[in-house]
Amino acid sequence: MTVGDAVPRQGLFLRRFRFWRSGGSGRWMLVAGLAVVLLLAIATVAALVAPPPGAFAGSLLERWKAPLEAGYLLGTDQLGRPLLARVLAGMPWSLGIALTAALISVGLGTLAGLAAAWAPGLTRRAILRLVDTVIAFPSLVIAVTVIAVLGRGFWPLALTLGLATWPIAARVVYAEAMSVARRDYVLAAQLAGVGSVTILITHVLPALRPTLLVMLAFTFADMLIAESALSFLGLGVPLTAPSWGNMLSESREYLVEAPWMMLVPAGAIVLAVVALNLVGDGVAAISRRRARDLA
Amino acid sequence: MTRWRAVGDVLLRRVVELAILLFAISTLLFFLLRLSGDPAAVLAGEEADPETVALIAERYGLDRPLMVQYLQYLASTLLLDFGESLRGGLPAIWMVLDRLGSTLLLSFLALATTIAIAVPLGAWLGMRPDAAERKVVNGGVYIMQGIPGYIVGLILIQIFVVELRWLTSIGITSWTSWILPALTLASFLVPKMVRVLAANVSEALREDYIRTARACGATEREILWRHAVPNALLGATALIGTQFAFLMSGSLVTEWIFSWPGFGALLIESVDRLDFPVVQAAVFVIAFLVFAVNAVTDVAFRLIDPRLREQRS
Repeated sequence: MTVGDAVPRQGLFLRRFRFWRSGGSGRWMLVAGLAVVLLLAIATVAALVAPPPGAFAGSLLERWKAPLEAGYLLGTDQLGRPLLARVLAGMPWSLGIALTAALISVGLGTLAGLAAAWAPGLTRRAILRLVDTVIAFPSLVIAVTVIAVLGRGFWPLALTLGLATWPIAARVVYAEAMSVARRDYVLAAQLAGVGSVTILITHVLPALRPTLLVMLAFTFADMLIAESALSFLGLGVPLTAPSWGNMLSESREYLVEAPWMMLVPAGAIVLAVVALNLVGDGVAAISRRRARDLA
Repeated sequence: MTRWRAVGDVLLRRVVELAILLFAISTLLFFLLRLSGDPAAVLAGEEADPETVALIAERYGLDRPLMVQYLQYLASTLLLDFGESLRGGLPAIWMVLDRLGSTLLLSFLALATTIAIAVPLGAWLGMRPDAAERKVVNGGVYIMQGIPGYIVGLILIQIFVVELRWLTSIGITSWTSWILPALTLASFLVPKMVRVLAANVSEALREDYIRTARACGATEREILWRHAVPNALLGATALIGTQFAFLMSGSLVTEWIFSWPGFGALLIESVDRLDFPVVQAAVFVIAFLVFAVNAVTDVAFRLIDPRLREQRS
């Protein structure tokens, strides 16, 4: 008999998953958020593999068509380029930079947080003080300043945003790692003579998985907002790239003629951010519920 | 520990943090500028001829050894001498301080708006969080939290400037031109604030002192506004201190959208023109402002709330 047989097969497909059977409202948030995130991921890959036609070249005769007018689902911009194609073509930029920045931010933060949890007193205090200091500073100001020197583009942006925001993840990972470190199984491993680095990697890190997932989702959303803000300010990706922030920035001049030029990229940003927040809050609610059930 | 001793400790810690941060940022800027190429060429601008570059190199001491430059740079930074703006030739620090008033005005308006919207809404939501209509509003607040402030700003412009033609969206001409920037900047904080307040109010309503008040015959209205909300506000106001940095990030974007003459807009213009003396002066002033606000709220709360004083020794 396999494990799958123990699960009722009829009814909802979702019942096969452990997170669904744990109940609560968090699972709805997670499923709704994941569905949108999955769609966005597929669209991003599709846009990378087969760049949507018309994203860069349009006909002036076709400019400022309203959504649904003349067969354009989301309308066209001031150069007659279909906005649907441009939103899709912008995904690798906006979502790509945001995800890369979030991975850098959470990755660095995890390293720093674990290092602080593991290090002796003085080093720990130095790391924590650094984290406190950087957190208290407006991250957008740091990003704008560094970009002034590094210049525009995918990697400068992803690196800058990641480097400006890692302390948030570091603080969370540190607090969580310290509480995991007090658990009995960590104590048992210590008594058995397991080295402290090994304990961190094999016992503490796996316990942090839900926390890291939650943080990755929230940071992804924040980075998407930050990236669009920078592009919107003209300090983000190259001006010709159809990132969502650049589209918003362009739309500012045509609010009278074509308000949909603003609403389409704005809608894309809000949709992605809300979906990512739902995933983060959903995972958080499910893991809180699970912890309560175990206790 | 006495009240003032605790305050002194907090202030000292803050000043040390500020010093470390300013040192780190100036060092970072110094080396980044030199890593990215010839700073004299960057300072002179793209279209400058070699003579201008040489002149600038001499004027800023860029022909001397790196360590000498670094020490000189730190010394002049300590005296708030960031050099002159590359456009106009005014001292950079003057240009930034000149804009201080408008940025402070905008932050103050935004904070006042945030409180005016978030306190009643949060209290209403927290009173009975499970009621159906409040769940719907809660969902709305959740979605609002996912809408970046610059999009709120653009939508406000679309509605009130383009469609209704009630307001203008540029500059600081009269008090009517304050409305949209204040609402935009407030939208960065309102959803977060409402959620914290609602959670705090519903938590406060379960406390013993509420039960006591109810037993003594206080009306529901009295209980909410005299007992639950003041206690919830304490936590929410602490949020303002920690979120001030976030508010500064927001005012960067808001000032730029509405051509508000604050130093956020100045910073962006200067980054765009690679006017490094002004960038540096602006970052310094913002850092100082953020830390001043954090220190003041920190101290204020330690004076008001004895529980906070006990927390950390």
